[in-house]
Amino acid sequence: MFFNRNEPLLLISPRLELVRLTERFSRFPWGLLVLITTVFTIGMVALYSAVGGMVNGANFIIQQSIHFTVAVILMVVIALGESKFYRRHVYFVYAITLILLLLVMLSGTVGMGARRWLDLGIVRIQPSEMMKLALIMALSRYFHDQAVTPGLRLVDLSVPILLILPALLMIIRQPDLGTAVVVAATGCVVIFVAGITWKVLLISVTAVLASMPLVWNWLHGYQRQRILTLFFPEQDPLGTGYHIIQSKIAVGSGGLTGKGFMAGSQNHLHFLPERHTDFIFSVLAEEWGFVGVLALITVYGLIIFYGLLIATMARDRFGMLLASGITSLFAFHVMINIGMVVGLLPVVGIPLPLVSYGGSSMLTVMVSMGLLAHVSVHSKQHGSYNYN
Amino acid sequence: MIENPQEQFRVDVRRRLLLLGGASGLLLVGLGVRLFYLQVLKGGHYRDMANDNRISLHPIPAPRGRIFDRFGVPLVENNPDYVLAVIPELAGDLAQLLSRLQTYTSLSDKTIEVVLRQSRRQRAFLPLKVKSHLTWEELSGIEVHLPSFPGVIIQTRSQRVYPYGVLGAHLLGYLGEVTDIDREQFTQIRFRYGDLVGKNGVERSYEELLRGVEGVRELEINAFGRQVRELHQSAAQPGQDLYLTIDLALQRSCEELFQGQTGAVVVLDVNSFEVLAMVSYPAYDPNEFIRGFTAKQWYVLLNNPGRPLSNKAIQGQYPPGSTFKMVVALAALQEGRITPQDRFFCPGYLMRESQRFNCWRRVGHGSVNLEEAIEQSCDVYFYRLGEKLGIDIIEKYARLFGFGESSGVGLHGERHGLVPSRTWKRKTRKEAIWYPGENLITAIGQGYLTATPLQLACMTAAIANGGTLYRPSMIRNNAVTPVIRQPVFVRREHINIIKQCMELVVNGEHGTGRAAKPAEVRVAGKTGTSQVVRQQRHDDRSDERRFRDHALFVAYAPADRPEIALAIVVEHGGHGGQTAAPIAGKIIDRYFERQRLQQGRGVDHVL
Repeated sequence: MFFNRNEPLLLISPRLELVRLTERFSRFPWGLLVLITTVFTIGMVALYSAVGGMVNGANFIIQQSIHFTVAVILMVVIALGESKFYRRHVYFVYAITLILLLLVMLSGTVGMGARRWLDLGIVRIQPSEMMKLALIMALSRYFHDQAVTPGLRLVDLSVPILLILPALLMIIRQPDLGTAVVVAATGCVVIFVAGITWKVLLISVTAVLASMPLVWNWLHGYQRQRILTLFFPEQDPLGTGYHIIQSKIAVGSGGLTGKGFMAGSQNHLHFLPERHTDFIFSVLAEEWGFVGVLALITVYGLIIFYGLLIATMARDRFGMLLASGITSLFAFHVMINIGMVVGLLPVVGIPLPLVSYGGSSMLTVMVSMGLLAHVSVHSKQHGSYNYN
Repeated sequence: MIENPQEQFRVDVRRRLLLLGGASGLLLVGLGVRLFYLQVLKGGHYRDMANDNRISLHPIPAPRGRIFDRFGVPLVENNPDYVLAVIPELAGDLAQLLSRLQTYTSLSDKTIEVVLRQSRRQRAFLPLKVKSHLTWEELSGIEVHLPSFPGVIIQTRSQRVYPYGVLGAHLLGYLGEVTDIDREQFTQIRFRYGDLVGKNGVERSYEELLRGVEGVRELEINAFGRQVRELHQSAAQPGQDLYLTIDLALQRSCEELFQGQTGAVVVLDVNSFEVLAMVSYPAYDPNEFIRGFTAKQWYVLLNNPGRPLSNKAIQGQYPPGSTFKMVVALAALQEGRITPQDRFFCPGYLMRESQRFNCWRRVGHGSVNLEEAIEQSCDVYFYRLGEKLGIDIIEKYARLFGFGESSGVGLHGERHGLVPSRTWKRKTRKEAIWYPGENLITAIGQGYLTATPLQLACMTAAIANGGTLYRPSMIRNNAVTPVIRQPVFVRREHINIIKQCMELVVNGEHGTGRAAKPAEVRVAGKTGTSQVVRQQRHDDRSDERRFRDHALFVAYAPADRPEIALAIVVEHGGHGGQTAAPIAGKIIDRYFERQRLQQGRGVDHVL
């Protein structure tokens, strides 16, 4: 307890732990970047086919390559940042993001029936994407400062809940149920790792389950429809069930080894919706079969494993919680997207990290990967310092 | 014990992260299992569904076999039917285009409205049918201006055409959309909804041959239904052409001479039993079945008292009347019950068991022998033969001549007629006993006995060729020797006696069939009258035509060396000698006149 009260003092003189830039560079988790590049490469193969090759989709292919290049540079730059730099500015970032979310609610751009984007003239930003990261960071910082070890009681959760709820409610209002679920789930993971007692966990889970009927009533009609459609897609084969059915056909018809590169009929004959964005996994599954998707899932698994490893090795609580949150965010994206494509989860607009076409998704993922790498760079395994 | 709270925290975090890692590992494995289920276990199922999505099968119609007469004159053909269609996505302003088309083809505003409504329902790249059955004028008008009508196309499809209309209508039959009844009958053919199938006549009897096998184009289509490429094509196998035994010229003569009557004519070649002509009147135009009827036309056709839709040559069942007397006479001779010289006295009636059996000639024929009895068609003479023979022998001979069973000609819907017997009566009638009086009535071809015109023609032809009953045939595609249904079963001398009698019917001084006497050849025949109303004989001049008797006549010619045999039934025509015989005579006359002319010119056949 005493130690934590002193921490602000340390913030005043951060240069105590200053590690030289070249050292940080050599500590960069290159293995993570290799795994990321592998996923991206698999994704580019699928994207190439999904947009119809260079003939029809050169634009998409070049754009995505640029996205990735920029994102990799961003990741490295973020990773090489000073050890306490991010922790220091967490609440500021959180506040800014919250304000942006508020602005979206008031004057956001409407697209696909939802108010999600903020038009800044040159770029359109999606504050809900930023909030995923901002919230993880804010929660990590809060628990880092509290340093209650271990076993959080219900009262200790009041501030984290205050951090989560406004953001969550604004995202749900957009409405963007998929992102809301991810934000909530990631927040819960951070709280869980921070040390919630099993009793409190049990109470919370019960409370959430009990509130489900209320949530159902509160959902928009189309959101309910999507959930219903998941369980009975054949009832509406040309309407909302169409995506699920066609996606399952694409995935299933790929078989063990797939139909071959550029040979997926569901993809090339336009039966598959949202081929290059949310449903790109189906393209991969159709053309490369079970073997192909197994390879991709394995690499994803390695990235998640790597992330968790970084979390356990992190120098301080902030690092541990930040790495856990980012890794679980990544894992949630992967699982929700694939689960949706194979007909296990409702169709929500969650892109497949590093694979789905789109700059904002790519940037969010790579910024988070940069933060993960940052934790790794300053982790304990390289412990040339004795912090305590 | 770890002192440092941070390291203590780390230990706790590790435990929790291990739990999280395990959970994500499990979830990823779960996804893998799901993918294994979809792709490997159910892969075949989804592959089929993907193929269903992308492959569309387009049938290539097989041209139906044509039908020719015995000399190769086409009786049924396939003509192109030109259909005006438009591809909306190329047309620009569809409504304006259609109204411009009105200059060249008769398009009502209502039709345009229907087409426009349809265009909103289907994809813009699919052809939209505007009008079928284009005339030559419409076709040429549109073709010339095609460049100024973007998106307009002329589609060609095959349409069945019967160039001679009503001529041979019953024989040829017609086509109609397939129904469950057709599917049950032709189990080998895989019909598709809306397919045309032979409904009657040759079109139905030889459906399997005429039909051919549909080809198929396998097209790959995209999600919008647009064709991407052709995957595979199997060509259609055209149906087989049929060559009938029918002689179109003879058929035409028969129909011309039958104008205004109701009934049927069948002409057979006596040696091969090939059907040379088969007429049923009144008839219909099979082309109307192809074009489609209005409800009114159909109603008129259905309710015509002449029953134009039935083929009376094989479906009309009439008591054969006196035309049956040859069979009875042959039975009596063959069984030795009479000699040709035996005489019976005819006072105009015969009393049996207080019942009076009238001869058609009320004043009687006096004493008559076999020859006179047939020539003058004396009923009393044959009442006596009926008494002597009994129903069992009459039945036996009637069956030997092909009565009471299908002739085997192979036309759809042929009826069997009826040869009564004791067993038959016991089984079907309330009064189970065969009365002696019924022997008498059967002997003059009345009572329960019925036969189709085709059966009568077969009987006549069998007598004419010396006693062999063949199976009649309609198809000449591959020359087959005629199938014998019943080899000669009566002595030739008996047949010759009967043939002599039949010559007298037409040529004798008192013959009942003198009206049939043609100029060209000598004819042998027999008149018959079949009662429509039993017991009391109606006056021939009765106002009610429908109560009048049917007139029958059977004949063969030439009498010395028979070539053709015919049977003719004129419904409600009165006496056979009055109505039926003259028509028969003229048919025979025309046939041999044409043959003489052709031989004179040394031509095999001319029409």
